[in-house]
Amino acid sequence: MIRAALPAAALLWGLTGCAASPPLAEGLPAGFPRSIELAGTPFFAQDEYQCGPAALATVLRESGVITSPQDLRPQIYVPGRRGSLQAELIGASRRHGRLPYVLAAHAGDLVAELSEGRPVLVLQNLGATRLPRWHYAVLIGYDADRNVAILRSGTSERVELRWQKFARTWHLGGRWAITTLAPGVMPGHAEPARFIEAAAGLEAAGRRAEAGAAYDAAIARWPHEPLAWLGRGNVAYGDGELDAAAEAYLRAIGLAPTNAAARNNLAQVLAAANCLPEARRQLERAAEFGAGTELAAAVAESRAKIEALPEPRAACALANPALPD
Amino acid sequence: MRSEKLQRACVALVSVSFLTLGMQMPAAASVIGTAEAIAAGSQTGSLATVHAAVSRDDVRAKLAELGVDAVQLDGRLAALSEAELAMLADRLDEAPAGGGALEVIGIVFLVLLILELTGVIDIFKKT
Repeated sequence: MIRAALPAAALLWGLTGCAASPPLAEGLPAGFPRSIELAGTPFFAQDEYQCGPAALATVLRESGVITSPQDLRPQIYVPGRRGSLQAELIGASRRHGRLPYVLAAHAGDLVAELSEGRPVLVLQNLGATRLPRWHYAVLIGYDADRNVAILRSGTSERVELRWQKFARTWHLGGRWAITTLAPGVMPGHAEPARFIEAAAGLEAAGRRAEAGAAYDAAIARWPHEPLAWLGRGNVAYGDGELDAAAEAYLRAIGLAPTNAAARNNLAQVLAAANCLPEARRQLERAAEFGAGTELAAAVAESRAKIEALPEPRAACALANPALPD
Repeated sequence: MRSEKLQRACVALVSVSFLTLGMQMPAAASVIGTAEAIAAGSQTGSLATVHAAVSRDDVRAKLAELGVDAVQLDGRLAALSEAELAMLADRLDEAPAGGGALEVIGIVFLVLLILELTGVIDIFKKT
């Protein structure tokens, strides 16, 4: 039996090796340095099962947050799982006012982030697909000539892994990596949908100021992204700046006339400015475009609330509302 | 004289509060969050957010069961988006939970163990 197994094991080894990883020098995108090491990155040695708090404290500290693994442990550790969940690392980053940007699943994005001087929190699977051993570490550099990845990991302040070995563990971990960005900072390689979704997460967690800074950065980089304008409008609305909110929603609708959320939210501003017929018209359109999506319920609720409002005594505060139909 | 001034100031103050109240009341109604709008636009999100309230309760119960301190639960849940809550409600038991570095278990051992478990080999049995 064991004779039959050895070629099978060799085959498996070869397959996993090939699937994940060429040497770094072959995969290094043009224009990046041959080697980087962010030697100033802080180090927190992990306690048992505490690689999540240790790794997160490392990247948060690097982005200017005063925190420690001890502070983070009650925010992310799940005793029954003897570890920390990716979603909660993301949530805890938001609680500290940082934008957790999930990098695209390419080694090039890791390198791009390092080249901006920011370490990257990575999920590794140090076991195998069916026997996973999940571990968070912080990638602080690489050396293409020596073909190594350099990490802060576990109880080791500085670990060098052969690039293919790092790439394999990262691949088995689902190629998941995050960078925690200070307000308004863009990742080294930014994709609009990823970045705006990350900003929306900050908004949903109630971190309006940081979400607003992220939306502003997104609008500066991608002025034609309707969702960035929608987010900008929501932040302004939350701050009570109704004029700015209306303007942002109008921009969103101009770019995406069938966006039910922007129509619905514009209607809220119109209602607040005593322009009920105009608000009703926007909600009609929102209902039309939102039909069949889960926004339908929210739009119906908005309509019911606006119908329940007393007729305003004051005139519509918008002198000449140039509203989209 | 004095009290008349005070009265007028009070009236002005009250009317301003009414004015702002009037502005804020409908505003406090519901704007649709950007995260919800994104989820509505994506295939994976559309089922997720429907049951957002259910997900939140599920995740709360599961985390409590897994030993998370009750006083921490509100803050932890509030930091998650509806899509994240829905994902955790579905997969909290098997979602990756990073814990720590493996000491020294060679990959060869793991491969052999997998082959053993899947029945390809039986080298770990004495018989």
